[in-house]
Amino acid sequence: MSNRYIFTYATVMIVLVAALLSTAATVLKPYQEANAKAAKMVEILKSFGVDASRDQANELFNRYIVDEMAIDAQGKVVTLYQKGKKVKGEGVRPFDLEMKKELKKYDAGQAALFPLYKAVKDNQTFYVIPLYGKGLWGPIWGYIALQSDLKTVSGVTFGHEGETPGLGAEIAKPPFQVQFKNKTIWDGQGNFTPIDVVKGGVENLPKADQAHSVDGISGGTLTSKGVDAMLDKVLHIYKNYIVAQRKK
Amino acid sequence: MQDLLNLFVKSIFIDNMVFAYFLGMCSYIAVSKTVKTSVGLGIAVTFVLFITVPVDFLLNKYVLSPGALSWLSPSLKDLDLSFLSFIMFIAVIASIVQLVEMIVEKFTPALYNSLGIFLPLIAVNCAILGGSLFMQEHELETLGEATVFGLGSGIGWFLAIIVIAAIRERIRYSNVPAPLRGVGITFILTGLLGIAFMSFMGIKL
Amino acid sequence: MSQEKTTREPLFSAKNMELLRKPLNLDNPITVQVLGICSALAVTVKLEPAIVMSISVMMVTAFSNLIISLLRNTIPSRIRIIVQLVVIATLVILVDQLLKAFAYDVSKQLSVFVGLIITNCIIMGRLEAFAMGNKPWPSFMDGIGNGLGYGIILVIIAFLRELFGSGTVTFPVIGELRIIPQSFYAMGYENNGMMILPPMALITVGLIIWIQRSRNRELIEEKK
Repeated sequence: MSNRYIFTYATVMIVLVAALLSTAATVLKPYQEANAKAAKMVEILKSFGVDASRDQANELFNRYIVDEMAIDAQGKVVTLYQKGKKVKGEGVRPFDLEMKKELKKYDAGQAALFPLYKAVKDNQTFYVIPLYGKGLWGPIWGYIALQSDLKTVSGVTFGHEGETPGLGAEIAKPPFQVQFKNKTIWDGQGNFTPIDVVKGGVENLPKADQAHSVDGISGGTLTSKGVDAMLDKVLHIYKNYIVAQRKK
Repeated sequence: MQDLLNLFVKSIFIDNMVFAYFLGMCSYIAVSKTVKTSVGLGIAVTFVLFITVPVDFLLNKYVLSPGALSWLSPSLKDLDLSFLSFIMFIAVIASIVQLVEMIVEKFTPALYNSLGIFLPLIAVNCAILGGSLFMQEHELETLGEATVFGLGSGIGWFLAIIVIAAIRERIRYSNVPAPLRGVGITFILTGLLGIAFMSFMGIKL
Repeated sequence: MSQEKTTREPLFSAKNMELLRKPLNLDNPITVQVLGICSALAVTVKLEPAIVMSISVMMVTAFSNLIISLLRNTIPSRIRIIVQLVVIATLVILVDQLLKAFAYDVSKQLSVFVGLIITNCIIMGRLEAFAMGNKPWPSFMDGIGNGLGYGIILVIIAFLRELFGSGTVTFPVIGELRIIPQSFYAMGYENNGMMILPPMALITVGLIIWIQRSRNRELIEEKK
């Protein structure tokens, strides 16, 4: 076989493969993006107690989420969207902001925007804050929903990429997550206290600390620490906004 | 610096390619009959991982990931080529293996003679592609991290195959139940070694 | 282990059926040929990803066998391996894209292991050993057979690991079924946490090999 044949063969093959793959990627992309978007909506809805399948996610999201905001590090609302339509400010839709990228900008000292969702369900208001941090093996993320007093936690969801099944991965399961319900992020003295994930049992802590602590996962200490650090960091970023809202 | 050290230790012991992710098992089982050949393959795998992971990192960062091509022209910032990563990674690996083979053959014929037969095998060793895919999945941030991760993963694999080869050399003198002889007992031993390696998980990093 | 399908439509000749049947037991890619373990064991913590993984591997093996067999007389031997890799990688990318579009949750669970199908030695092995020298239809059957043989082991391991590790069995579409009843837990039964950790997957394979080889004594390795 001549070199020419080999080159022609390789070229034809590469062209065919490239055409096939880019067609497939282009055709399937809308589905993949819709999936990712719906999965995100499901998580947001779940944080304040709405169980949705991915098919209903869009509908329920539009029903319950009244405000989609992007706030800056000073707690000022920069962009406001309602029912997927822009009301105030400019830039991307808060829903499309990625916590990972914004946190990176924040860490680098650049201007960053953080998404915040205000939901109304059965005449109750909830504020949903997205979370993003590092677990033991890779990224972990989640959503924390606060009640209208911006003090009491209504619910949380967590997700992870590759935490150890049965150990760290338990953060994504209900037994760990239900603990957060009705915990507070402010203590009696008016100090800001993002929820601590502790080792050795919440019931052994002083009474005052129990209200803002949950049990870590036995065997998943490093992942639990990751959750703790994530809550601490992200909630402190939203602190300015929370303080301002509570004063109103 | 400390982060790099942590990553290094983690990728050798805790995230061990063989014991935690079962990668490169085919050659691990097939070649681990004697320590001598295992050393050869181990070195080759480490070497290739050490080179391919950083190269694939650069490829991922500047070509494949969403918006990565914006350094060429800002109009490309919405381009997402990540669907090509599998094929690009494997192409890079195959060519680097070929390249390494040629370089080693030219400059150190002695090493080539001992490694020679293993090098072509490595292109389809899952541990190599696995290294690059984990690099992408774990979203490593710097070239340094990628290099350290590649090197650590390679050393971890190297360690695993030497340990099992040494055990297999000894176990020949033991009375293993006939149906378990060879492959069967190797699987069980690897499992037990995996349990032993899991004790590293508690290390505070 | 030796559940072999004995009856099948006459459309499939005895010889072709043999291609389908042999990998299920006597020529099993995992327990006998010891190939393709790499990407297999990490996805067996639950049954659902294991089933999806098996189907994906079967598709890639069957179609790459078919394509290479169709091309076998035109492939320049010097770039043979690269051509094979390109075909496999293309199929794997397609599988990955399809999973992301239509089986989003499972594709999240499988993560990098879909990509690792590329280096699954079963596929390369079958291409080299079979598809390069056989007609398209037998090659396709051989691919399906080896995919099934791989899948059977994966499903057995995943079933055992999920049952004893989590007390549940998760099927695609149907979802999670709790097999061990709550009353067992009330009586003090506990899930075996070991089963969901990586090492037990290896030990389970070891035990399957043990059982299979004691039933098929011709597979036992010679004592050297």
